[in-house]
Amino acid sequence: MEKSKFNFQMFWDQYGTFFILAIIVAIFGSISSEYFLKTNNITQILVQSSVTVLIGMGEFFAILVAGIDLSVGAILALSGMVTAKLMLAGFDPISAALIGGVVVGGLLGAINGCLVNWTGLHPFIITLGTNAIFRGITLVISDANSVYGFSFGFVNFFAGSVIGVPVPVIFAMVIAVILWFITSRTRLGRNIYALGGNKNSAFFSGIDVKFHMLIVFIISGICAGLAGVVSTARLGAAEPLAGIGFETYAIASAIIGGTSFFGGKGRILSVVIGGLIIGTINNGLNILQVQTYYQLVVMGGLIIAAVALDRLISK
Amino acid sequence: MTTPYIKMEGIAKNFGPVQALKSVDLAIYPYEIHALLGENGAGKSTLMKILSGIYEPTAGKITIENTEYGKLDHKIAAKLGIGIIYQELSVIDELTVLENLFIGRLPIKKTFGINVVDWNNMRTRAAIMLLRVGLKIRLDEKVANLSISQKQMLEIAKTLMLEAKVIIMDEPTSSLTYNEVDYLFLIMNQLRLDGTAIVYISHKLNEIRRICNRYTVMKDGSSVASGQVESVSNDDIVRMMVGREVQNRFRSLKAEIGSDHDDIVFEVNNITSKDQRRVKDISFKVKKGEIMGFAGLVGSGRTEFMNCIFGVEPISAGKVLLHNVDITPLSPLDALKKGMGYITESRRENGFFDNFSIAQNIAISKSLKDGGYKGVIGLVKPGLERQLAEEQRHLLDLKCSSVDQNITELSGGNQQKVLISKWLCCEPEVIIFDEPTRGIDVGAKAEIYKVMRHLAASGKTILMVSSELPEIMTVCDRIAIFCEGRLANILDNNEHIREEDIMKWALPQS
Repeated sequence: MEKSKFNFQMFWDQYGTFFILAIIVAIFGSISSEYFLKTNNITQILVQSSVTVLIGMGEFFAILVAGIDLSVGAILALSGMVTAKLMLAGFDPISAALIGGVVVGGLLGAINGCLVNWTGLHPFIITLGTNAIFRGITLVISDANSVYGFSFGFVNFFAGSVIGVPVPVIFAMVIAVILWFITSRTRLGRNIYALGGNKNSAFFSGIDVKFHMLIVFIISGICAGLAGVVSTARLGAAEPLAGIGFETYAIASAIIGGTSFFGGKGRILSVVIGGLIIGTINNGLNILQVQTYYQLVVMGGLIIAAVALDRLISK
Repeated sequence: MTTPYIKMEGIAKNFGPVQALKSVDLAIYPYEIHALLGENGAGKSTLMKILSGIYEPTAGKITIENTEYGKLDHKIAAKLGIGIIYQELSVIDELTVLENLFIGRLPIKKTFGINVVDWNNMRTRAAIMLLRVGLKIRLDEKVANLSISQKQMLEIAKTLMLEAKVIIMDEPTSSLTYNEVDYLFLIMNQLRLDGTAIVYISHKLNEIRRICNRYTVMKDGSSVASGQVESVSNDDIVRMMVGREVQNRFRSLKAEIGSDHDDIVFEVNNITSKDQRRVKDISFKVKKGEIMGFAGLVGSGRTEFMNCIFGVEPISAGKVLLHNVDITPLSPLDALKKGMGYITESRRENGFFDNFSIAQNIAISKSLKDGGYKGVIGLVKPGLERQLAEEQRHLLDLKCSSVDQNITELSGGNQQKVLISKWLCCEPEVIIFDEPTRGIDVGAKAEIYKVMRHLAASGKTILMVSSELPEIMTVCDRIAIFCEGRLANILDNNEHIREEDIMKWALPQS
């Protein structure tokens, strides 16, 4: 066939997000090179992005099956809160993080998944509801107060780094590799893509649709739960209002990373880049001393621009 | 028959480097039903899209009522009275029958000086139209609740509302029942006598013989022949379409590729659907290597029955036996693991995955069968998938440039082969084919029939649902006839059987 001919669209599908990231880095770099491109700052961007990347990867799964998870911010807060409370109750940091992050996150995700399966409602409605419920529970168990004063070891661990790479970054990278493996190499991942591509075909082909929907929301929950652990460690406190509005960042990471809202299309690696783009923009605007309120405006505009550009090129 | 109403000369159309139409001449006269014939991919649909103003021709001219046009657009086409009934349904599921009929052109009246929708006017006109096409449905029924054939008739009614001078019908009968086809032909004849010209695209030669006056055959983007239908034989038409001799579809393939097994393999006992209405008390036995055809009107419960025995729909009673072992499946996965396969009625809706390559589409069910716990545990191996797909490609003569191609790039016939492959590599003993040749051209149909007969000869048991009796009579060993959710009779298929013998069981007895 016409192998030799350069196919821009395919090239864009594969590497488009890298370009957007490169362009954004170039813009900030040229405006404020003295701060922005310093090693310290780049490390800072990576650390700040790790939470966004984590919830973005979870969101990716929900969007991959043509659904959505609006409760990631609330799961992040509740998981972080449970982790802090457990440590105060005398649990060692590792088991607290495992229970708070993986078990609580997974459980909350499973609640989303079960509700979607039982009611047959769109995940948008279910997670809109559970977002409020989970946030409410967080406020109830914390009495709307920050929880702090837990083990320094926990905080220090996440503040440390291994051969120059900060622990939260390694953490997010490990999860990314696991999820990449699941999506691209396992039968489970293939089934999820199939389910996202065509739910009816998936059912007739023998895929247990409800079971896979449940798994998808559990993965999204665990990712948000782990993000909660990281963010609690970074803040040195569990905030009951942590993660408010983070679903925007999560969804943005996934769609800037080229995940199709119609389901069935997208890659974990691109979502990671998508999360980094969000982190970079946040950091760049901070360095340029743009007020937080304006940052939101810029962020929103960039989300729309990035996706519109992608559409334009894909056409 | 003096001057043509529409005359298309030397029409060509390029899509980038692809030449879809090379040079087409077509003349359509008033008072005629004009058959447009050709294999899938010959360019019929492209030509019709040019005529209805969707595509702009690269070259050529169109003369309509003595006015010459270089191209048409949607508005001009509508103004000139060119209506088109597409092959794919364009009715909107979420709206009611009434709303669908008037979509985009709601009648308006003035109430207190304000333009409002004239619902009374709409209801009256819609009721008359439904009566005219013989549809017995409520005006306020949601279209989602209609059967495919009812949707198709609604689609036709919608175009008739336009009072068009030229109506293009792109395979309108592919999902209609016998009665509905009769009704449609009655309407078409009326329209013709009123002076309407109809362009009729179909692969069904017997229909063309029944209803059409003239024909034009297209092949590879050019018109190759045109003339009176009665002065040409079916074999001639097929030869002109494909440029080669094709097996006459009305001759039984059974004799050619026979299978001689005697043992009962598959048995269904008293299967009744959960609602006890759509599928009632179905029992039969099928031998190894036998193809059992399922005839009946659309809505007679054949697909629902297949869904019941494949674990798609819950059942209230009954058993499915394979080698005398109860395998009544609880889910499609269960059915798959117990040795069944199901090639579904509509490829796009519940057949393939449009985000997957050919190889991935083929491998998915085998992966589920081989995988641990619900087909989840285990790794996918792209190399093995490709190898599997290559084997199937060779086996079924699948035409593609690579098994890594996306499945949507294939023609309907080749997509169907991919779906057959998907189940074959799961090595099922019983395979259900539900309308396996819908929307597939004559050449590919014959290939699918051959594949089915070869499968039977190799010892597979096949259940085949089809609304085309000639097809069932070509392929099957025995014919089970459904009527209103019941199994009315099972007939042996032999050369003496006639369509009427089957139809008399399929029609409800009042």
